[in-house]
Amino acid sequence: MRRFWLLFLIAYAAPLAAQQDTTRLPTGVRLGLIYQTLQRPLLAVRPFTADFALAGVAEQTYAIVRRDLDYSDRFEMYETPPQLAEGPVDYAQWNGLGVVYVVTGSVQPLGPDGVLLRLALHDVVYGHIKEIRAFELPAGGTPEFRMAVHAAADEVVRWATGQRGMAASRIAFVLSTADGGSELMVVDSDGENVQRIAASSQTIMTPVWSPDGRRIAYTMLKPDGGWEVVERDLSSGDVRVIAADAPLNLTPAYSPDGSRLALAVWSRTGTDIYAYDVAGACCLEPLRTGPGEDMSPTYSPDGRQIAFMSDRIGQPHIYIMPAEGGEATLLTPYVYGEAGYYTAPDWSPQSSLVAFTGRSRGRLQVMVADSRDPGGTVRQLTDSGSSEDPSWAPDGRHIVFKGVRAEGRGLYVMDAVSGRTRPLLLRGGVRLPDWSPSLQEASAPAVRGE
Amino acid sequence: MHKRTILPALVGTLLLAACGGNEPPQQVQPQPDSAALAAERARQAELEEQRRREAAERERLRREEEARRRAEEEAARAREIIEQMVHFEFDKSDIGPEAERILTEKVGVLRANPAVSLRIVGHADERGSDEYNIALGMRRAQAVKTFLTGFGLAPDRFETVSRGEEQPLNPASNEMAWAQNRRAEFVVTAGQVTKLQ
Repeated sequence: MRRFWLLFLIAYAAPLAAQQDTTRLPTGVRLGLIYQTLQRPLLAVRPFTADFALAGVAEQTYAIVRRDLDYSDRFEMYETPPQLAEGPVDYAQWNGLGVVYVVTGSVQPLGPDGVLLRLALHDVVYGHIKEIRAFELPAGGTPEFRMAVHAAADEVVRWATGQRGMAASRIAFVLSTADGGSELMVVDSDGENVQRIAASSQTIMTPVWSPDGRRIAYTMLKPDGGWEVVERDLSSGDVRVIAADAPLNLTPAYSPDGSRLALAVWSRTGTDIYAYDVAGACCLEPLRTGPGEDMSPTYSPDGRQIAFMSDRIGQPHIYIMPAEGGEATLLTPYVYGEAGYYTAPDWSPQSSLVAFTGRSRGRLQVMVADSRDPGGTVRQLTDSGSSEDPSWAPDGRHIVFKGVRAEGRGLYVMDAVSGRTRPLLLRGGVRLPDWSPSLQEASAPAVRGE
Repeated sequence: MHKRTILPALVGTLLLAACGGNEPPQQVQPQPDSAALAAERARQAELEEQRRREAAERERLRREEEARRRAEEEAARAREIIEQMVHFEFDKSDIGPEAERILTEKVGVLRANPAVSLRIVGHADERGSDEYNIALGMRRAQAVKTFLTGFGLAPDRFETVSRGEEQPLNPASNEMAWAQNRRAEFVVTAGQVTKLQ
């Protein structure tokens, strides 16, 4: 037995010693969510009503809205009892059940093949209709139909909470194929409508949405071995090269107004961060140069700051600097003699929070730090299996990441407030997700009210 | 060709000598035909010379073959040295002792084959973030180039690229596979590797 341990020590002690402590969290990191978990109000969605001809559309619309409200993670969903499924909303009875919100809906024909969806949010506590509105939907069965229903559901979330939901959005990601190629894919926020945008025999990496949701920039391996950053127009399919001269051009990120694209470009001493003028289709302006790797820039919502990864101190950490370059501040906890590893930052589109991948107990996990509190406590949001490449939803509350968990490998969506996590797409080879901005404002029709 | 014409001539001569016909045997010492004899000697000498030349030719061919084989072996060994990959520690791009030995061997071969240019391809294991691993692979390729050019080899003979963690040698997820996958590979992009030194 003793000999066995000796052999074990010889075989494994050296590599283990070189790595991070796998039994405890890194200093300055603690497990937790981003806010106190709040009581989620009970919400019920009544089956939508319709003329007979549109019964199928009503059922489909109801299912999408109900699931979107569930996936918003703002409510505790309550199944509508059969006796309360029809007729005027009986506030007293709902109140007795503890339900706070009731959503009612109806669909009717609009034009040759469109649909008019009327949604109402009932506030049970005050016993009145809080909001009501009609939404124009394109013909059922089209991809635009689902997105229009998502946009309507996002409005309902806003009526109840003051903040729009994130259902009308998509997630771009990379699917690596067995033959070494890759595909640029998108999937709706509810896991439906998986589409292939581009396929390459080479590697595609780090896709990012433009703020208008019409283009995706990404990194691609060229046949000559270099990496280039390109931008693809989603409607026309046109691809234009943004940066390809250096051997490495990596990790593009749009500024919130879409005028600039920050990216990492290789120079002799490592990768540096540059900004490309998107509108002028020109010029790489240096934002941060010098020794070590500086990469993975991500803009703050106001566009005035950039969070990025740098390993200048010998290990990869997350920093913040002004968007035009300048002095950088260390965001993640650095402890002398401890092997810190923090990469792939993504700044929330709604707040001062920055999500990133951190190594904890020997595995990659999704973590969050507050840019207003550099060096403050980092929250480790995930702790099962491994989780990496986080990207914020437009609601600044949900995070999509690549996970390896008991449920399988794939993309997962986590509500950073409640911790609730659901698989988005379980499939090997998927990675590097990027959540789009809100893709559709609900279209306001001429008719309003009832 | 020669053998075929000489043999019947010899047989003819012997037959003539042996057959006296009906005449009683005469005590005549057969007088060798001096001209025939000289021709025969010449033929024999020519044959000998022929054999000698053929042996020399065979020897020359053997030596050529041997030299060719040796050159091939040398070229193969030289290519092996050039193509032998080097490995790295976790998260590191430093050239370790083993890599140093392998790279030093390459230096000799590269000096002996000045027309040869190389592409150095850096790779990372699957741990760590995908994009940072591209930079790590590049740093590894660069570290190799810096080591080689440190011996006075021209920098423009080396091109460095990175594949990040995209092309593992061993797709498994364990220490052994990771160690195999943290590497720099070498591809000849110009010239032919023929000489060892």
